[in-house]
Amino acid sequence: MDAKVLSRHRVRRWTALLTTGFVAIAGLTACSSGGGGETAAGGAPAEGPVEIDFWGWVPGLEDLVETWNTENPDIQVSFHRMTGDDGQKVEAAVDAGTGPDLVQLSTHDLPDYVINGRVQDITEHVAEHESNYTAQSWASVSFDGRVYGVPQGIGPSGMMYRTDILEEHGIPVPTTWDEYLEAARALQAADPDVYIANLSPGEIGQWVQEVQQAEGSWYGIDGDAWTVGVNDEASMLVAERWQTLLDEGLVTTELMWTPEYWARVNAGDIATISYAAWFPTALAENAADTSGRWRVAAMPTNAGSDNQGDSGGAAVVVLDGAESAAAAAEFASWLNGSDETQEALITEGGLFPSTVNGLDSPALVEEQEFFGGQAINEVFIESAGNTPATWTEGPNWGTAQTAVLDEFAEVVGGSQTFAEALDNAQAATVDDLEARGLTVNE
Amino acid sequence: MAVQTPPSAVRRRVLGGGRWIPYAFVTPFVLVFLTFMLAPIVIALVNGLYSSQSSGLGFGGAETVFVGLRNYTRALADADFLVSFGRVALYGLVQVPVMMVIAAVMALLFDSALVRARRFFQFAVFLPYAVPGVIAALLWGFFYQPSVSPLVQGLRAIGIDADLLAPGTVLWSVANVSIWSNAGINMIILFSALQSLPRDTFEAARLDGAGELRIALNLKLPMIAPAVLLTTLSTVIGTLQLFNEPQVLQSITPNISSDWTPNMAIYAVSTLGRDPHLGSAMAVILGLVTLVVSLVLVRFTNSSSRGGAR
Repeated sequence: MDAKVLSRHRVRRWTALLTTGFVAIAGLTACSSGGGGETAAGGAPAEGPVEIDFWGWVPGLEDLVETWNTENPDIQVSFHRMTGDDGQKVEAAVDAGTGPDLVQLSTHDLPDYVINGRVQDITEHVAEHESNYTAQSWASVSFDGRVYGVPQGIGPSGMMYRTDILEEHGIPVPTTWDEYLEAARALQAADPDVYIANLSPGEIGQWVQEVQQAEGSWYGIDGDAWTVGVNDEASMLVAERWQTLLDEGLVTTELMWTPEYWARVNAGDIATISYAAWFPTALAENAADTSGRWRVAAMPTNAGSDNQGDSGGAAVVVLDGAESAAAAAEFASWLNGSDETQEALITEGGLFPSTVNGLDSPALVEEQEFFGGQAINEVFIESAGNTPATWTEGPNWGTAQTAVLDEFAEVVGGSQTFAEALDNAQAATVDDLEARGLTVNE
Repeated sequence: MAVQTPPSAVRRRVLGGGRWIPYAFVTPFVLVFLTFMLAPIVIALVNGLYSSQSSGLGFGGAETVFVGLRNYTRALADADFLVSFGRVALYGLVQVPVMMVIAAVMALLFDSALVRARRFFQFAVFLPYAVPGVIAALLWGFFYQPSVSPLVQGLRAIGIDADLLAPGTVLWSVANVSIWSNAGINMIILFSALQSLPRDTFEAARLDGAGELRIALNLKLPMIAPAVLLTTLSTVIGTLQLFNEPQVLQSITPNISSDWTPNMAIYAVSTLGRDPHLGSAMAVILGLVTLVVSLVLVRFTNSSSRGGAR
């Protein structure tokens, strides 16, 4: 789930910079064990166990890795928890031949890794498990009929809302975006200190889920060429919505994950947050004092459609340079897909599963105290079922995302509109693709 | 026989045998210089001439091809990259003089007999330099965010509604962090230069009736001109290389874009944009600009100080 990676980057960049030293030490440890892993992995089985180096960020992975290691003396996994900008180090490490064997990756980033040959084709090792994964998550790791990773969770959308605030002002829970705008106006009229939402100019996942809901896509494939849709019709619809909310002063514009943002959430300035299924865990952690006042409903819908959105999924991929791809893929399949791991990934990891056995797990529909005893994942399960399959991942997600967010900052700053921002980001994305020699149909 | 060897021959033998000694002393420096200065420069120069190219959808793989100066023309055609130079220039025009004036005033105060508890204040002024730049930016970041900042809330209490992270103010909030961090070290350098000046000159001036202010401005400052140049030069270079403070503050304000300074633009292109070749070309451009600015500054101050001596 890319949004999660990014959000975590933000939140971690802030908190984890304080522990830069520890991060550096962790990095060094990872490097040294990486070297050992490669030599051992290349050897014959008689020489001892295969060693796999694995980088990831999902909470609780340490315990799962330990379980695997105890049960599988022949394949020993060492785990490095990714913090700060670790995600941006992976490519350089792979190119330098010092990368880990396995890494957790946003599916938004995967095409770029495939094009630049930084991940291995693991079709033959994982194809047998396909039936345990949702069709959409499997599609997100498949290119040209080859499979490049094992899906690990998706980010279906929902709307977390302050039931106490809405009730206080007699405002019904909005189910469509039209109702949402009315609720926003009513809320401001009733209490000028309370806003319907925070529009974070740094949170791409919130944008992407609404673009996807409106059946847009940043990328598409047209024969042997890419198409770019950063400013497609769906994106313009979302742009218009938020332009209105912004122009009428109905939203706050804090960067998400900052102390300032959480202060405002805790103060009750923000009545609704639309985001992915993993966000409630973060909300409960950072706004503990508001426990019991939140509920989850489906994200408001567009006229004449039940569509929900998805901010992005994640996958575990075998990197180029991993000498024992079969062993690495075997571990990844166990980690993401076995019956043994589903409950821990859901409860400890806060993942929303992309596996059939995960979706069947009783752990998924547990009632949550923070949300007043609501079994919130029932909402997200329905949302996952209503996500249109129109989104296509593309080859320069990093550039597109940076361009969009830089432009959005100027929108929030008041010096341009969302529509102008999207046009500029579209141009930057197309230029970058063409500079890489890729074919773009405009 | 050894006893009959004339003294000169002994000396010659020792010298001859010791010819390697200087080389041994410079070897560590040369090795480190080659590995961490020269090699990266050469690698960046070479990298900047290549590009990773795919075709069609790109799934056929990528190859690295020679593209001549195309990365340079791309970098120079990037308006945001050029704007980032303008931004650090504006920043430098304000930050460098403010920093140098603060450092010089404090050094002169500490050097005069006017300040009591001198060692304590010197330590206090120097202390922020011991705080790593990233940590300093994090600390100030809390001061800049209204909901958690005693500073902003205090100003609000007396009727001043300050937004220290707004598009128009954030540049100076960054400058503030840098001045807070670095004024101390510049003060120390200027102060040590002042301490090494001959005291009798000032005694003579005093006898001639010059006041402390006059002595400070007309005697002390001109006499420590080389130290002033050194600190100014390193401050100017630091300005062009600006990265840590804005990169950290970027996580709390949208008003610092990913290409806000030249170094941030290089970082963004190389990591998020995944184009180290273009990043290399941009780094070479930044290096050249830094070199030119430094040369101009040295030439300018050399000629003006020679003029002053005449």
